[in-house]
Amino acid sequence: MDFLLEGFKALEWQQVVMWIIGGLLIYLAIKKDMEPALLLPMGFGAILVNLPLSPVIGSGTNGEHLGIITSLFNVGIEASEAMPLLLFIGIGCMIDFGPLLTNPKLFILGGAAQLGIFVTIILAAMIGFPLNDAASIGIIGAADGPTAILVAMQLASKYVGPIMVVAYSYMALVPIVQPAVIKLCTTKKERMIKMKYNAKQIPKLMRILFPIIVTIVSGIIAPDSLSLVGMLMFGNLLRECGVLQSLSETAQTTFSNIITLLLGITISFQMQAAAFLSFETLIIMALGLFAFVFDTIGGVMCAKLINVFSKEKINPMLGAAGISAFPMASRVVAKMATKEDPSNHLLMHAVGANVSGQIASAIVGGLIIGILGPFCIL
Amino acid sequence: MLNFLLAFDNLTPMNWDVLKPALNFLWQGLLAIFVVIGLIIISVKLTALAIEKTTAWKKQREEEKEAQNTDETTNS
Repeated sequence: MDFLLEGFKALEWQQVVMWIIGGLLIYLAIKKDMEPALLLPMGFGAILVNLPLSPVIGSGTNGEHLGIITSLFNVGIEASEAMPLLLFIGIGCMIDFGPLLTNPKLFILGGAAQLGIFVTIILAAMIGFPLNDAASIGIIGAADGPTAILVAMQLASKYVGPIMVVAYSYMALVPIVQPAVIKLCTTKKERMIKMKYNAKQIPKLMRILFPIIVTIVSGIIAPDSLSLVGMLMFGNLLRECGVLQSLSETAQTTFSNIITLLLGITISFQMQAAAFLSFETLIIMALGLFAFVFDTIGGVMCAKLINVFSKEKINPMLGAAGISAFPMASRVVAKMATKEDPSNHLLMHAVGANVSGQIASAIVGGLIIGILGPFCIL
Repeated sequence: MLNFLLAFDNLTPMNWDVLKPALNFLWQGLLAIFVVIGLIIISVKLTALAIEKTTAWKKQREEEKEAQNTDETTNS
């Protein structure tokens, strides 16, 4: 009868803690509707990989039998980072850069809202994380799951699991985190600044050339960002070219869904109790929040700085929309603007800043890999 | 207290050897992102201008052609 008790005998308390964490992620996904497409597979995966003798991970001291999740992780993430990169094609297909092309100045806000990444890297390094881990933690501030996975994997961080969970959890918490920070950094008068939206028709040629221009410029200045930016822009070109409607629709729906589904469950490979349950995970949670807060501050302060030199005033809240969390950040800003003044409609401007954040975060991800490579002990 | 907790997990707080490259990294990263963004903005503006000029030129040419055709019809 011993074979019936094998599982019980191999059970460790850390695994039970991971079941609870998995359960919490599932609860947040279902009950609170927080990034359900990712938190639910990750939550279930956390339970799955933390069952004693779990065959989805594999058995054998030399890994002679690889489980399904280990295999998916090895092929889809570790070997090629294919999954997060392919997801970028879908994301690119979903984004309309029209509001950004109407007012290219908003691009600056997307860049400024990446400040939190760099400040967090310094803080994490000061706390004592090696530079590759510090940079991987800082990239949580990109508010962009695939970028976070890619950077953490390329820099061989040992905290990929906690970084993923924290990144996606905070992305879902944008509507809670950002309004408080925006209110701290702005006055009521600033929040009520109205902006005209000049809904000019963007020529089709401009829409087609934009992804090509961005790819070439970022490829030349920041070659390491090319895999991320290239996939994002390829997706956008599919959308804008007008002759690949069917491919564009597939990339936006079925393709993205399949990758998201596989990515969520595959990432749970990194949620094995031995690697996940540590004091560092708690610090990473705090640093992730710090990154989000400083991203918001960076964007808002940059908008204020532009206002000093510009005749046409920008509502500083738009700076907060410069983070990559799309479309939550723009929705939050638009909602706050109408709350302050029901006649103030900032949504299109906020979307412009938000999509610029999407490009900027991908570029920063590549820059981090490029600049940090020589310093990392891989 | 923090030092104790961090030491517990083998972190080495206030590691100045790592801090220096991290600070280097801050200015390099921010400079690079703004250079990329600046170049993208300039390229987009120039492309938009070029498209606008070409469209205006095409329109003018068509109008001239139309006017020429009308003149020819009137003369004949």
